[in-house]
Amino acid sequence: MHLVKTMKGKMLLAIIAGFFVTVIYFSLPILNIDATKEPKTFLTHSGAVIQTTGDVLDPVGYSGKPLEFDPEKYLREFSYGRISKLSDGTTLREFTIIAEDNKIMEISPGVFYNVWTFNGTVPGPTIRATEGDLIRVHFINNGQKPHTMHFHGIHKAEMDGVFESVGQGGGQFTYEFTAGPVGVHPYHCHVMPLEEHISRGLYGVYIVDPKEGRQPADEMVMVLNGFDTDFDTENNFYAANTIPFYYQHHPIQINTNELIRVYVVNILEFDQINNLHLHGNLFDYYPTGTYSIPSTYTDVITFSQGERGIMEFNYTYPGKYLFHAHKTEFAEKGWTGLFLVKESDTSQYGVK
Amino acid sequence: MEEIKKTSKAKLIASALIPIVMLGLMIAYIFGPGSNFLGLGVALPEITIEKIEFLDSKIIATVRNTGHIDVEVVQADVNDRIQPAGIEPDKFLNRFETAKVIIPFAWNESEPYEVGLTLNDGTRFSKSVIAAIQTPEPNFELVSYFAIIGTYVGVIPVLIGLLWFPFIAKMSKSKYKFFLALTAGLLMFLGIDAIQEGLEISTTSLSGAFNGQLLVATVVVISFLGLYYSSEKLISRTTSNLTKPVTIGLMIAIGIGLHNLGEGLAIGAAVGLGEIALSTFLIVGFAIHNTTEGLAIAAPMAKGKPLIGKLVMMGMIAGTPAIFGAWIGGFIYSPFAAVVFLSIGAGAIFQVVVSILNWIRQDEEKTFSTMSVVSGFSVGMLIMYLTSIFV
Repeated sequence: MHLVKTMKGKMLLAIIAGFFVTVIYFSLPILNIDATKEPKTFLTHSGAVIQTTGDVLDPVGYSGKPLEFDPEKYLREFSYGRISKLSDGTTLREFTIIAEDNKIMEISPGVFYNVWTFNGTVPGPTIRATEGDLIRVHFINNGQKPHTMHFHGIHKAEMDGVFESVGQGGGQFTYEFTAGPVGVHPYHCHVMPLEEHISRGLYGVYIVDPKEGRQPADEMVMVLNGFDTDFDTENNFYAANTIPFYYQHHPIQINTNELIRVYVVNILEFDQINNLHLHGNLFDYYPTGTYSIPSTYTDVITFSQGERGIMEFNYTYPGKYLFHAHKTEFAEKGWTGLFLVKESDTSQYGVK
Repeated sequence: MEEIKKTSKAKLIASALIPIVMLGLMIAYIFGPGSNFLGLGVALPEITIEKIEFLDSKIIATVRNTGHIDVEVVQADVNDRIQPAGIEPDKFLNRFETAKVIIPFAWNESEPYEVGLTLNDGTRFSKSVIAAIQTPEPNFELVSYFAIIGTYVGVIPVLIGLLWFPFIAKMSKSKYKFFLALTAGLLMFLGIDAIQEGLEISTTSLSGAFNGQLLVATVVVISFLGLYYSSEKLISRTTSNLTKPVTIGLMIAIGIGLHNLGEGLAIGAAVGLGEIALSTFLIVGFAIHNTTEGLAIAAPMAKGKPLIGKLVMMGMIAGTPAIFGAWIGGFIYSPFAAVVFLSIGAGAIFQVVVSILNWIRQDEEKTFSTMSVVSGFSVGMLIMYLTSIFV
């Protein structure tokens, strides 16, 4: 006992007390859970119910602000360019595409990632023309690295966007070629390291319509993509049109007995294949969209990198129908969506 | 006179404070407004999942921010598949702050799982569990279950080991020295074992922010010095030669007790985290291993009067911490606490080894280089090594 009374004893006690306080501080969780707080109940995207007094981690809600990229708008938006006629009667379609590589975008709720963009979005605008049109793309590189635009299709070697890299900080190049062949094609940056330039978001869809036109339909574009946010050459997120689970929470509204045409492009990096499965229905599939006769009537199609095609179908029965990667890992990481089929006599797209 | 003393004391305090004030000013200057010359490099976020619990149709992960910057947890996954989850108190974690992530998930017993958490910059951190098992909740049944395990592993083997007391008491001096050295060898092994265990937990479960290896070194040294100081105090105050062996025996018992606390922690945690199936075989292994600890307590006291009450008490001091360890490990496991307890145990044991060696040397020969001492020490370590294979 007398030990405690001395200065030495006090010091010893102080050391021991300090030691144990430190151990307890680092050992026990520091939780400021307010026990009086009423737990809130949430219904999550998987159908699971969560009761918590804290926050909910679920890829549904975004951080208040509207999304920088709107998959709703992208789905049915086609860019036909500034149209004029050449002296020989050919239609000229001019586009201005600006590349940037410093944008930080919320690609899943709360997840911010440096995307590289054509005209500020991933994917870039859907460029659409009719076979035989002259396409002129004024390309400006406002990024901090060299970029190009490489279109799939038929064109001269110097318009291929591979060897003529466009310098950073305002470099310019004009791509000019005749639209063709008929089909759905990707375009993307072709600067090395290629995997990085593509997986960061420098890609888009290029559609060539036949001269005689297409049968009227409710048309939409789906780019199958993903993001490797931790740079381990494996995707952390998968999606149709960039935002994981987006169409699951915002179902794509379509009408019964209306022709639906989906231009699908698989641009997914890192994974060998991707696929698409449609529920409650089958579809005609036109690989690359180059022939007018479908190659198959199915409900699952498989894509390797760069593969694409056109799906055509219509729903007889109203209701909610999933579409997702039948590679279920991708589905569980965001590549899942819904069609909400409504019974309707009048079509918003005027096609019945 | 008083006046002079006061000013000199003020000067002393001032001279102690000036460097601290200067340091404060420097830090204020570096971090203060308008200073940006230290904006080099990028501070990377880091979180550590410290614990994963499996309850009815849900998985609970305890996560701590162990990096240099504040982070936001934005997504949870099980086996790398995105799962909705709740996070309490909230998803914003300051440095060293912790949160509980509650994931509704229909898990299957004894299957492996990996729980991952993704931060706002897209980096993912994960922790694996070898086999999922319902996390024990502190009820009477489990408390007594752990108590029984602790008794079998700690208390009973130590008491059995003490039964060697009459055997050691009757032997010749050189043979007795052999057994004292054997005890030192046993303890040396236990000390190294505890350090190795502590380092292992440091690498597997403790965040890099805690500098696990240095934590082990620091705590071992402090524990050694602290117990060395107090045991010297204790021994210097015991005047009679009769109580001295008792004091050494007591120090050995305390050292072994701390070691068994660590062992109990390991067992409790392993059961609680589903990392091992605690088989009867394993308990037998621990029991054989720990019987030798009773011998260690008995040896220094063997030349004194047979104080049966004191012996039993020391057996309890050495053995019962296994029970407390099992409770702590099973119900509130923390890798940090485990490393600290193991290191305290190691320091305590090395202190005891020093005490025993001093005890041996106090004889007329004043040397360690006798056959009985060298062989005793070696045999002690070998016995521990061989019995450790069963664990």
